[in-house]
Amino acid sequence: MPRIQDIGAFSAVREAGLAKLVPAVPRIAIGMGTCGRGNGAEGLYHAFAEAIERSGINVVLASVGCFGACFQEPLANLRLPGFPLVILHRVQANDAGRILHDVASGSLPPDLIYCKIEEWDHITASIKYGRGYPEIPLWNEVPFFKGQKKIVLRNCGFINPDDIEEYIAIGGYQALYKVLIDGRPEFVIEQLKASKLRGRGGAGYLTGNKWEFMARAKADHKYIICNADEGDPGAYMNRNEIESDPHSLIEGMIIGGYVMGASGGIIYIRAEYPLAVHRLTRAIDQAREYGLLGENILGRGFKFDIEVVEGAGAFVCGEETALIASLEGQAGRPRPRPPFPAQKGLWGYPTNINNVETWYNVAPIVTRGPAWFSETGSPKSSGTKVFSLVGKVTSTGLVEMPLGTPLKTFIYDIGEGGIGGRQVKAVQTGGPSGGCIPPEMFDTPVDYESLTQLGSIMGSGGMVVMDEDNCMVDVARYFVEFTHSESCGKCIPCRVGLNKSLRILNRVTEGAGTMHHLELLDELSRYIRECSLCGLGQTAPNPVLTTLRHFRTEFEDHIVSGRCQAGVCEELAVSPCENSCPLHMNIPRFLQLYKEDRLEDAFEAVIMDNPLPSSTGRVCQHPCDSRCRRQTIDEAVNMREVHRFIADSILLSNRYEHMVQRILVRRLEHTGRKIAIAGAGPAGLTAAFYLAMLGHDVTVYDAKPEAGGMLRFALPEYRLPKSVLQREIRLIEQLGVKFVFNTRIGFDIPLNDLDDRFDAVFISIGTWKESWVYQPGTELKGVYPALMFLEATARGEEPPIGRKVAIVGGGNAAIDSARTALRRGADVTVFYRRERKDMPAIEEETQAATDEGAKFVFLAAPHRIIGDAAGKVKSIEIVKTRLGEYDVSGRRKPISTDDIRRYECDAVILAVGETVDLDFAKASGLSLKESGTLDVNRFTLETSRSRFYGGGDVVTGASNVSNAMAYGKQAARNIDLQLMEANRWARILPLFDYGNELPAEPSPNHRHAGHIPAANVRVRSNAEVVTGFTHEETLDESCRCLRCDIKVANVS
Amino acid sequence: MRLPQKKLSIRIDGELISAVEGQTILQAAKANGKYIPTLCDLEGLTPVGACRLCIVEISGTDRLFPACTTPIQDGMSVTTASTRLAHHRRISVELLLVERNHTCAVCVSNGHCELQSLASAMGISTVRFAYNYPKLGVDLSHPRFVLDHNRCILCTRCVRACADLEGAHVWEITSRGIHSRIVSDLNQKWGESRSCTNCGKCVQACPTGALAAKGCAVEEMVKRADNISSLVHRREVQV
Repeated sequence: MPRIQDIGAFSAVREAGLAKLVPAVPRIAIGMGTCGRGNGAEGLYHAFAEAIERSGINVVLASVGCFGACFQEPLANLRLPGFPLVILHRVQANDAGRILHDVASGSLPPDLIYCKIEEWDHITASIKYGRGYPEIPLWNEVPFFKGQKKIVLRNCGFINPDDIEEYIAIGGYQALYKVLIDGRPEFVIEQLKASKLRGRGGAGYLTGNKWEFMARAKADHKYIICNADEGDPGAYMNRNEIESDPHSLIEGMIIGGYVMGASGGIIYIRAEYPLAVHRLTRAIDQAREYGLLGENILGRGFKFDIEVVEGAGAFVCGEETALIASLEGQAGRPRPRPPFPAQKGLWGYPTNINNVETWYNVAPIVTRGPAWFSETGSPKSSGTKVFSLVGKVTSTGLVEMPLGTPLKTFIYDIGEGGIGGRQVKAVQTGGPSGGCIPPEMFDTPVDYESLTQLGSIMGSGGMVVMDEDNCMVDVARYFVEFTHSESCGKCIPCRVGLNKSLRILNRVTEGAGTMHHLELLDELSRYIRECSLCGLGQTAPNPVLTTLRHFRTEFEDHIVSGRCQAGVCEELAVSPCENSCPLHMNIPRFLQLYKEDRLEDAFEAVIMDNPLPSSTGRVCQHPCDSRCRRQTIDEAVNMREVHRFIADSILLSNRYEHMVQRILVRRLEHTGRKIAIAGAGPAGLTAAFYLAMLGHDVTVYDAKPEAGGMLRFALPEYRLPKSVLQREIRLIEQLGVKFVFNTRIGFDIPLNDLDDRFDAVFISIGTWKESWVYQPGTELKGVYPALMFLEATARGEEPPIGRKVAIVGGGNAAIDSARTALRRGADVTVFYRRERKDMPAIEEETQAATDEGAKFVFLAAPHRIIGDAAGKVKSIEIVKTRLGEYDVSGRRKPISTDDIRRYECDAVILAVGETVDLDFAKASGLSLKESGTLDVNRFTLETSRSRFYGGGDVVTGASNVSNAMAYGKQAARNIDLQLMEANRWARILPLFDYGNELPAEPSPNHRHAGHIPAANVRVRSNAEVVTGFTHEETLDESCRCLRCDIKVANVS
Repeated sequence: MRLPQKKLSIRIDGELISAVEGQTILQAAKANGKYIPTLCDLEGLTPVGACRLCIVEISGTDRLFPACTTPIQDGMSVTTASTRLAHHRRISVELLLVERNHTCAVCVSNGHCELQSLASAMGISTVRFAYNYPKLGVDLSHPRFVLDHNRCILCTRCVRACADLEGAHVWEITSRGIHSRIVSDLNQKWGESRSCTNCGKCVQACPTGALAAKGCAVEEMVKRADNISSLVHRREVQV
């Protein structure tokens, strides 16, 4: 092909390119970026090539860049002449044959279709592919692409990056031609200034101003540089852009070279991007061949060339002065500015450095004009920005969005929220120089100023999403470790300051931190930020400062309670299951003890970790399951059922009395201290157990006639037989705990009275008040608050519910009410204002209710309840909702619509949540939180009144059994510590010698589940639904444990 | 022939001062008898802005600037001492003290050490950060001089004295970050260096006991950094 010197030659190349891009035969293009290759795109390409050769079908096979949806790799696109371009996802090599077969018969592989494109705007030109396939969604109707606007990524995934003709076919080098013909460089600068394009490397300096400064500089030589030294962990925008569309970069740089009067251009790219380097070098060669680089470009007498320099991978070389030093052959160390590179840069000559993405925006602005460009984005930050959305988010990939888009759009709409419905905890923008932003601030628009305000930066566009499995202290530590190892060492703040920051963070993650460390860390970080020489040091403390600001409680947890909630800091946990357990039961220990056939030891280990083992063995929400590492092999160990079996084997057998004696032996000598506990629920019982074991004199008061709290009065018999609970309470009584029933603290006995008679008081009265929202009709006969209904049932009463029951709510109380009503033969419909996946109820329970015949109506909020003449419920009106904006919990807020529907019913059970009894709270005079719950010190559980402690639901709001028990345990420990001024806790805990050998091979058995009768059988009785394991099953399950608690293994 | 230099007016700590265009804040301050603490700066050597002790505040911005590399501008108002600056400078010195093994009692520069004087002027008697205690060597291979990495603060005054004045380019820094080290030639022993002219300028430029003459007692090892400055000055006059 001759050099393009005139418009005629240009058109000829363009026609040739179009014939390849939109041929008259079917075209199959494979996404062959690094991401595609990593997922097997090369194998796919060869499979297609072979299949085409074998079958002789006339198909064009091409390799293109990446379309951005990394989570759907390998991507391919397929077009039949006259029809839309169809994007296929997750295409495997063995699909090639059948796809080709489909193509030959003019059809598409239905299971691989992702979306279609009817017409594509390449900005510099547009391609009409054709219309059709009404059943396939358009590309921007797919959640991942909704709202995306592709300016920088305009050609990625469409054209063959190795073929300049395809680039010219979609209007490539037209902008350059226009600029050269026009011959007015100052006009281009005016356009850039008017477009308000800002540097995409992170600092956000106005590109037009930067270019003007450079254009005005007078010197023998001037250089322009493209900074492609992309080194942030989790960021790969530039790699993908260059791999998919290298010519857009080259065109931008030639225009820049002409406008700024540069004598040469340099692309400084990481050597770790071999594919990008390869494609770029090839593109430059092609551009030279076609007369677009070198002497007399496009016949307009302009001379310019570009050189590719591979950086050795030092992160600091992304800093412009270090980059220049590196280009000059020196060590990559920054120098102070002024002088700025535009005054004195490479070899002492004026130099202009722009980020890859900035160059990509040049041709579109020249083609479409500044007004078009600044239409997109926010007033101060115009245009789009490419982000690499990665981490703990469902859909990952390259996302190009208008600047100013709120963070939550990225995370919840495009990214579709946390993986497997997990809650997103933070998003980290800007790589190691950026900061972590908590969900409360996900409304923030993503632009230069807003992110800086939060202590983060936009940076080059990395966006790492983190969920509850990420420890924020560890995240801060990780980034500081990174910048510490990448620091050049020139200035003290960065070299030594980061070294000390890292050391402090290491101490905290090891559990050896102090609160003084946090102050020092904060001070040191501010010093590093203000005093460092270059951008690396100035921004390196951002991850620390933002985590300290937004996630301070996690630091405190590590330091004060020695706990890492996320379970990342291994020194702070026995095993992942132990760490996830609110009671911190040593799970591997009792599994091993049972394996060693030591049932009594196992029981002692269990009950000393958890005083209500049979009840929790049935109703705990078992967070341990989701953390079990066995999941990487098959399924989690069923730890709850093992612990239930161990507990039941003793508590419900004739070995009970013997074991009680064994536990009594552990009880410490009598201290003579008197402690009152208000509330005999799980929190109160737990505290009573431990305080009695510690030798104190414990009296438990409760307003109800029996002990057990919610376990006794809210949990239905079919989930927890009361005889089981009775045994556990009896054991606590045998330890010497006294119970006083039908007595309300604060009413029947004033707090002052308690204060006089006891050395400490623990308040755990729970949440027994319905958070009753008044609705028209709630006064009618047949309307019950869920708790009242469940409590009456537990007492053996049968509140009249008629035949048809409507239940409002989506929590455990709603499901318990539904299943209870089903057992009374009612027809049950549950109304919930959000979707099923948003329900707070335990998933197994919801499923069981569905199996038993409960009907669910989602997106339905109560409107009013209608009664008949006798004042009895006749029907309920609900208003349909739609889901609006995302709230802090990552769920979408329900918004009422006009659509009101009526359901006939005989009773309505309102399960809209429980709250603290405000009467008590007011009467007590204790300080409360805004939500009405008791305000206590997070670590000591002290209330505003001295010697009064609080815990359980009264502090957290309605929660669950094991969380409440954890409070009881923590309270007992703290009360004892403060009363006795000595740490006596360890003295009551048993120690066992048990096997510390790793299993040679994981046990081949699969997870056992408790036994559940068929729905139609169990729904007719109140008998316990889930029956426990047998001895063999328990042993099998114990053997499945991988023993994560063994930290140092003897590897021979 | 030199063009007459343009005079600028700036304020340093509120005092109006006349300075010459092209001067840095540090030069202007020194010329007017104003003290700004420094470690890596040495008159006559190219400033590098590495130690960050000479940071100053400039009114109109929240940022801090190193006085040694920031050129003055007409009307600029500079603050050289404030609680914030004192606080930051103190951390810098503390960090230097914990980075390597600065054991003054057994150091040949005891009493003549710029780091030691700064620390005592700032009243630093304890440090709040953990000591690194790195295991570092001493290069005794040179017949006349010693290099003790334990005392080095990486100010690069030796590097610049050797390159800017002697033109021998013996010294360089190897590695990066906390692992940075001064090396002679291509990481050879100093005594085996073929480019070293044994002139000793690096020793005189060194602010601590990292570079010292062999066989000197503490009282004898007084560095003459001002010799470096006057050497440069005399050369300039001859030109």
